[in-house]
Amino acid sequence: MMLIAVAWRNIWRNKTRSLVILISVCLGLAAGIFNMAFYYGMVDQRIETVIKTEASHIQVHHPSYLANPEKVFKIDNAEQIAEQIEAIPGVKSVSKRIMLNTMIQSPTAGSGVRIMGIDPEKEKAVTNLYTKVIEGNYLDSGKRNPILIGKKLAEKLKVKLKSKVVITLQDMEGNMTAASFRVEGIYESANTTFDEMNVFVRSNDIAHVLLLDEKSAHEIAVLLNTNDQMLQVASLIAAKLPKLEVKNWRQIMPEMNLIESSLDITMFIFIIIILLALLFGIINTMLMAVLERAKELGMLMAIGMTKRKIFTMILLETVLLSLFGGLLGMGVGWMLNIYFSIYGIDISVWSEAYRSMGFDTMIYTKLSFGTSMQIALMIFATGIIAAIYPAMKALKLNPADALRIDM
Amino acid sequence: MTTNLKLAWRNIWRNKRRTLITVASIFFGVLLSTLMTSLQEGTYSKMIENVVGFYSGYIQVHHPDFWEDKTIENTFTPSDTLINILENESGVTMYAPRLESFTLLSFKNNTKGVALIGIDPEKENQITKLSHWVEKGHYLTANDNGILVPINIAKNLGVDVGDTLVLMSQGFHGASAAALFPVKAILKFPAPTMNNLGVFIDIRAAQAFYSAPDKYTSMVLMVSDNSKVKHIRHSLQSKIKSHLKLMTWDEMDPLTNNMIKADREQNMITKAILFVLIGFGIFGTVIMMMAERRKELGVMVAIGMQKSKLGKIIFFETTLIGMVGVLIGFVVSLPLIAWLVYHPIPLTGETAKVYEQYGFEAAMYFSAHWTVFTQQVLIIFAMTMTVFIYPLVKIVRIKVSKDLHS
Repeated sequence: MMLIAVAWRNIWRNKTRSLVILISVCLGLAAGIFNMAFYYGMVDQRIETVIKTEASHIQVHHPSYLANPEKVFKIDNAEQIAEQIEAIPGVKSVSKRIMLNTMIQSPTAGSGVRIMGIDPEKEKAVTNLYTKVIEGNYLDSGKRNPILIGKKLAEKLKVKLKSKVVITLQDMEGNMTAASFRVEGIYESANTTFDEMNVFVRSNDIAHVLLLDEKSAHEIAVLLNTNDQMLQVASLIAAKLPKLEVKNWRQIMPEMNLIESSLDITMFIFIIIILLALLFGIINTMLMAVLERAKELGMLMAIGMTKRKIFTMILLETVLLSLFGGLLGMGVGWMLNIYFSIYGIDISVWSEAYRSMGFDTMIYTKLSFGTSMQIALMIFATGIIAAIYPAMKALKLNPADALRIDM
Repeated sequence: MTTNLKLAWRNIWRNKRRTLITVASIFFGVLLSTLMTSLQEGTYSKMIENVVGFYSGYIQVHHPDFWEDKTIENTFTPSDTLINILENESGVTMYAPRLESFTLLSFKNNTKGVALIGIDPEKENQITKLSHWVEKGHYLTANDNGILVPINIAKNLGVDVGDTLVLMSQGFHGASAAALFPVKAILKFPAPTMNNLGVFIDIRAAQAFYSAPDKYTSMVLMVSDNSKVKHIRHSLQSKIKSHLKLMTWDEMDPLTNNMIKADREQNMITKAILFVLIGFGIFGTVIMMMAERRKELGVMVAIGMQKSKLGKIIFFETTLIGMVGVLIGFVVSLPLIAWLVYHPIPLTGETAKVYEQYGFEAAMYFSAHWTVFTQQVLIIFAMTMTVFIYPLVKIVRIKVSKDLHS
């Protein structure tokens, strides 16, 4: 106990040195927490976009459809199946879609797209597409052959609201046919690649052109109450529908795993480098401190302080500094984290790159308390490890020599 | 001047331990920031290597209108001078011709429109390692009349190795093109999009098919190092006097380039944090050094040393210590990085699996580009000099009466 008091006084005897260590630890921890929160926030938002806008939690297809997205691989009686799925506990909402890869043309340009034939009302309950409409209306205005296209595609096709676009397709009987649609709305999601690839029409409009019966669909998207139930509900659905393929969003978009993995590595390296920089910084500063206090330490030894106590005293100094620096760093890190989780960080400077990968340009930080505690523990442990070597150096002092040092 | 320098030199070696600790903190600073920058640059180079090695190459030679309008009309016939220029350009390590266009593929009742890519089997393989992705069957040999089909297209059409595909398209100047090609191999690329993209045949077969003898749509060039791309493009462009257009990989794939740019700028924050921590490390040792020398400096001033002269001595000491520190940092990091460049750190576990799934080698790569070193050495040296403002301030504030008693 007395040693703690002595160590505490020693710390404040040389304020600048103590502040330097304190600030380093604080800065290291705060930066660690903030950086983690930033990247986790970014990935979390991407996952949310994947679930809410693109893939939903679970998708059901004809077993051949995903490998070969041809219109013939449809789900018959999709309406009935959708109702069955909706009855499963944990399922929030279900939407069936008719999908078709084909060409869309404006008077000036053409592009390959995926037509999504949806029931506007049911789709609203599954995806948040309707909230992403930036111009015009969602598909619920009741006009004839409306189409909702992405902003990126609208730019590519050079079309505006009310422009006419022509969809060329091969109907179920194999005849080439074309249908004209009027741009009713333009949407913009966080993912420009998605916006360029997907256009939305009413399912009965496209079924009519395609000569497909309205009860069939190519995809049934399922939104759950929470992400945690995903695997469980997916197996329930799969058990009920043995003839269809049931996949969750991770299986449908495996690239998400790649993004998460590479992020984990980046974070790992970042933390290691921060820890190393801290380690060397503290070791060197404490080593200098021991050197400077050689006479004082020699005196303490000469008047009978045991080596163990001296070792503990120097260790305690660093531990106390790391502890306070750590607490301060936690405070600063969390304040930044909370502030930016509400107000967000604007990374629109690099928007083009991030949006084409599907990331939002406003990042809201997010971090679990557990992760930040882990970082705090690692930094604290670094502080202690860093103190051991200088403390050991202090033990090697010979009281007789140390006393004679002329400072 | 020389006296100051001499005094500074002696001061440094008077207390070796003190000097060593300060040098060590500078040395670690250089080492850490070099390692981090090298890893970062190495990762980018690998990303670029993946992109260019997969399909685009570092530079492509096109007909000027090809990129905007990829039709068989926008082709060119390579002149002997062009080949000569490419052969003699020192940075160009390999080049391969391609003839790309669209075709309808039919097998039984199934028809599909895909890209048809005519390649020089051997040269192409050196650049994109195409034979590496053969899942079943054999890769093309010279003057082969077979066709390589990616797995998804093969599944969609229901073809297997040995089946014969009917190709139909429009050739040069509207000539009709139709031919039969036996499936030589099924390809399976790690990137899903490539599995739907197109089929490969020998370039001579493609030229015959499109009635475009000796014509290419593009020539793919590989260079020894990404940092030389801009320079080589410029050099080639000035030598190739014809209208042909040269495009670099970042113009063909702006997405990857943007990604690297964005990542690099975001990493500035991480690096700034690192530099601040390193700076504090150096600062800490300098503070303690000044505390230790307080009495010594007080005595110097008391016996009549001008503070300005003392300041100069400290400046020389700093410069010497800083130089020694960064030099040792450089000398140690150079072989370390050189070793890491050839022995990338392998990744393990789940992460490694995910990486391999995408055809990336699961490892951390380092770069030994000279800027990696010079940049760190200069930054850390500048930081050391900045930190030494503290001793100067301390000297100005020396109060003989007080400092002598400490």
